[in-house]
Amino acid sequence: MEEKVISILRVVLDDELVDADTSQGNCDKWDSMAQLNLAVEIEAAFNVSLEPEQIAEMRSVQDIVRILSGMKK
Amino acid sequence: MHVFRNNTVERFFPKEYTFSGYDDISVVPEEADSYVWFYQVPVGCSREIAVETIGGYKQKFALVLSRIEARKTFIAMTMEEVFGLPLTEDDYSVRKAIGEYNGFLFEAEKTHSNLKVLDYSEFIRNAPEAELIDWKFFFISQMGINPRLTNPFQVWWQRKLDSISMKRKKCIVLDLDNTLWGGVLGEDGISGIKIGGDYPGKAYSFFQQSLLQLSDTGVILTVCSKNNEADVLAAWENNPFMILKKEHFATYRINWLDKATNIRDIANELNIGLDSLVFVDDNPAERDLVRQMLPMVSIPDFPAQPYDLPVFFKKLVGDFFKVYTTTNEDKKKTEQYKANFARSQAQHAFPDFKSFLESLDMQITIEAANDFNIPRISQMTQKTNQFNLTTRRYTEADVKSFLANEGLIWCMSVADRFGDNGITGAVFVKGSEIDSMLLSCRILGRGIEFAFLKKVLSLLKARGVAEVKAKYLPTLKNGQVADFYDKCGFVLISETEGIKSYVSDLNNADLSIEEYYHINVQ
Repeated sequence: MEEKVISILRVVLDDELVDADTSQGNCDKWDSMAQLNLAVEIEAAFNVSLEPEQIAEMRSVQDIVRILSGMKK
Repeated sequence: MHVFRNNTVERFFPKEYTFSGYDDISVVPEEADSYVWFYQVPVGCSREIAVETIGGYKQKFALVLSRIEARKTFIAMTMEEVFGLPLTEDDYSVRKAIGEYNGFLFEAEKTHSNLKVLDYSEFIRNAPEAELIDWKFFFISQMGINPRLTNPFQVWWQRKLDSISMKRKKCIVLDLDNTLWGGVLGEDGISGIKIGGDYPGKAYSFFQQSLLQLSDTGVILTVCSKNNEADVLAAWENNPFMILKKEHFATYRINWLDKATNIRDIANELNIGLDSLVFVDDNPAERDLVRQMLPMVSIPDFPAQPYDLPVFFKKLVGDFFKVYTTTNEDKKKTEQYKANFARSQAQHAFPDFKSFLESLDMQITIEAANDFNIPRISQMTQKTNQFNLTTRRYTEADVKSFLANEGLIWCMSVADRFGDNGITGAVFVKGSEIDSMLLSCRILGRGIEFAFLKKVLSLLKARGVAEVKAKYLPTLKNGQVADFYDKCGFVLISETEGIKSYVSDLNNADLSIEEYYHINVQ
């Protein structure tokens, strides 16, 4: 799952350097517009519907993986 | 492109576009090459406030329009009520305000040739109301369209940009049996095929009538059918319900050869590229064969039921033939292709080529670019691939900008005893260099290209130009003009990777033109 998240982020952020440690804090391209596009792409790729609170919480690759794992239970 | 908007729409447009702030018209960035106006109904306010706000958008739009240079394209989307919420049946106040707003855009278009109004309802009609807005994303970020519609929107937008720049396919190749009429002519006979009368004949009549109207916009109709030619000619002539007849087709191949060969033949005769053709045939095996043999031909699936023909026709137009507007030349297209055929037949009757040319009574009119011919000039730069020395594409706005920057443009129209071809050539000159030179292929074969260039060179010489530079830029399609400037007496000064640079000394160049080209400069 982490790999899939990373590959989505690479496309959305247009940045090949995204890895498991990427977060809003260490990536300038991860702005609010990217956040929105990320939510749309994650929803489509994992066939889930994220709640607005969850979208707001997605500040790093690990956050996203954690949120998705919680939903997939 | 710079987009003025009142919602979040970034993800729906290409990455290189720039965006205004929300409902912000304070900046009209000068570096943008063109602009988009995309305002939608404000959400979350009372109906009264919404009506007032929409009225205000009109004023804002007018202000932005007045601040955009006339040579730059400005695309305005109509406003649509994607989520109407009247609480009583008699409350149509917002609908009315939207109607007035759209009417305002349409009126403005009449007086601003750079303004192109796009009917946004065409896009939203294809999506159910419940899917047009995803309210979660609307409330998180004011996203004006459901993000899941990104892909369809992008496809639609690109198609609209093509239509504004007048790009489209040129010609439809039509099958006959079970395509233009129901049944098989060879078996059912002239009066047995289904056309006119009750269903399914009615559905085929609709299809034929629609194609006839499409041909009036300049799309060339042709036929490729496995039939006996004599049977079809008799059906065209004698079946009283037939709408499309012999005279509506620029050419036809009715025989028992394979369709790929016939279609290649049609393209050759009309002198257009295979990628300008759309092949319409009810038989999947025929479609498949052509798809295999001629992958550049566009081949839509044909509906299994005749009652689906209206939807099929609409998609056919939308996918391949819709343009923002048509020019006078478009409307005469089929006649011109047929005149060409008559001309090539007549050629055989003369002892030599020169006496044939003399017999044509060619009238060539050369005129400088003006408001009336600029749409056609732009269209030619977009569509001409073969006789095009540099293949530079110019939108109408680009043409105006070329002129505004001290460029010179002449276009040429040709008529002869077989018909009027309309505007079919153009030369762009910047300083002492020919920037573009292009001619429509359907006027070739009469030496007009040389007469045209020589006359333009004379005009330049009269303006004090002593030396003219020119270039040939190779593409996959313009090989036929690789030595055009050589033939015109230009001197090749360099050639790298196929790009040839030339110069011509006008004081010593032979600018004489045969007297059977009757040239009139306006």
